[in-house]
Amino acid sequence: MQGAWWAFGITVASIAALAYYAFVMLPARIHRWRCDGLRAFARLIELRTQGRYGKAEPMAELASAVAQRLGLPLHERRRMELAIYLRDIGMVAIPYHILNKPTPLTPAERDLMGRHAEIGASITEQIPGLWHVAPIVRLHHVVYSEQPDAPLAAHLLSALEDWIRIAESADVDTAASVLKQGAGARYHPVVVQAILGEVQQRALDGVQSLTRSAALWL
Amino acid sequence: MLVLGAAAVAVLMHAGAPLLQAQSLTSFAGVALLAVAAELLLIRYPLRPEYSDRGIWLSVSTPIVIAVILVYGWQFGVWLDALITLLAGAVMVYCRSTRARWVAVNTFQSILSAWAAGIATAMVFETRSGVWNLQSAGALGLGLLVYMLVNGALVGMTVALAEGVRLRWVLAQTLLSLPRDILLMTPISFLAMAALHAYGAAGLLGVLAPYLALRQAFVLAARQQELYHQTIRSLGFLVQRAHPYTGGHLQRVSMWARRVAERLGLPPDRCELVYEAALLHDLGKTVLDERILNKPDRLTPEEWEEVRKHPQLGAEILRDTPFLAPIIPWIALHHERPDGAGYPFGLMGEQIPLEARVIAVVDAFDAMIGGEAPNQRRPHKRSLSLDEALAELEQGAGKQFDPKVVEVFRQVVHEWRAHREARAGA
Repeated sequence: MQGAWWAFGITVASIAALAYYAFVMLPARIHRWRCDGLRAFARLIELRTQGRYGKAEPMAELASAVAQRLGLPLHERRRMELAIYLRDIGMVAIPYHILNKPTPLTPAERDLMGRHAEIGASITEQIPGLWHVAPIVRLHHVVYSEQPDAPLAAHLLSALEDWIRIAESADVDTAASVLKQGAGARYHPVVVQAILGEVQQRALDGVQSLTRSAALWL
Repeated sequence: MLVLGAAAVAVLMHAGAPLLQAQSLTSFAGVALLAVAAELLLIRYPLRPEYSDRGIWLSVSTPIVIAVILVYGWQFGVWLDALITLLAGAVMVYCRSTRARWVAVNTFQSILSAWAAGIATAMVFETRSGVWNLQSAGALGLGLLVYMLVNGALVGMTVALAEGVRLRWVLAQTLLSLPRDILLMTPISFLAMAALHAYGAAGLLGVLAPYLALRQAFVLAARQQELYHQTIRSLGFLVQRAHPYTGGHLQRVSMWARRVAERLGLPPDRCELVYEAALLHDLGKTVLDERILNKPDRLTPEEWEEVRKHPQLGAEILRDTPFLAPIIPWIALHHERPDGAGYPFGLMGEQIPLEARVIAVVDAFDAMIGGEAPNQRRPHKRSLSLDEALAELEQGAGKQFDPKVVEVFRQVVHEWRAHREARAGA
């Protein structure tokens, strides 16, 4: 029985390692695989709209930082990340000439564009294993005053998408003031606070490199 | 199969005597418990007889069988394994998920593997007094190794004989997953052995819980991996539904492409990739203006220029998806021609990957015969009959198409037609 204790220890340790692998490492790796797969579809929309929509990389990174700040649990953060890659997939069904129209859209065309979230959600619902992502895809342009009880992740995407778009086209300060003005009306106030907090906390050069990398993506 | 059966029966008869004389009641209870556990597991997750590395594959009872061999002796292990395989097989036959013939083959295989493992462990591990030592752990690892090697070789031979897959590939698949499997199974087997040694069969109950939990996790993981392939496939379908005429086209093209790849002797996982590549080969078209793609009359030169971008656009879409990296060149080059007149690069003959040549032939063929539903017909061309299209392919062999691929594809189409006619007749 001399060797009993260390042998017992090794056995327990290796079973613990196995469990860690099976319940922690493997799910994380599967999540990465899924993101890799869905990235293709974000790129598809990006190519189809000549870089105006569907971009996922700059958003995914910032969104997960904000989500952590909001205290979203891991599975919810993963769901949100998958939704980021899929959110504009509905644009495959929007006619090319509307997506790429150089002049401003007519109200009817804008209406059609607005349906991409709904179409994307119905596409996502039909993919086995991704149905749980569909609600976030459907609500990724949600307006806080209309649907305050939508998932927090959807509110986050809605606000963050606008923040990134304005920060790219104008500058960070304008984006921040738009978000502040819209807090409680268009945007979820808690989400706005978290986004602005995250942005402030990142050093100025960090934000610049983000917008720079976003600009490189164009 | 007869040889296998004879050998297995000989082993059982050789093992038979000590078992019937000496085993105690608890051991029999252990057998019953294990058999029931294995049965239940198999009902929920029928093991696939595949050698594909696509899922994570864990054998249900091997660790426990090896533990039993070490504690009670190989005779007992052989009988146990035979019983488990037979019972589980019977349940699977009852559920119609396999045939009785395969259960028999499986049982013979496991008897022989357990026997080999027993002989091997008996050489290094004689005393049954101490379990908690390095010697027993080593014997356990050796037992698992021998069991899986023998089983892998036997299964490989059977699969190779039955399905005409090359033995080398099957064995390579088995060998590749061997270290992982042994690493995963040894601790569990060790625990099972210790429990058996200390508490008899009842001790296994304590091992069963973590064992089931882990198994469940791996099964889930395997299923999720399946799901992600399904994700790719369904997104491929859904996205291309945006262009109505590609609907049934894609299914046929990918099915035929996989069959041609199999006939050309590509390894199974490669054939699976060819299937996926054929499904996604026109992915780039989703980026283009659908007014050009759906245009009923002749395209202008500028419009042609746009259409000719689609192979590269498809490759561009998949650029950041590492697990699809092998298929990117096939998609980018599926409009190249062996005579160098294709696009986008004008590569010649062997410069074009074989898989791309396969997709080119199958794609062109299906475009010629047109879809089955009216809205699947290509707008700008009249569709041909199967024979006309085959004749066209043969005319283009060497110029537009790879002659070898055309030859193989002709057989595939003839078989498909014979099969379809047989089904229509019946």
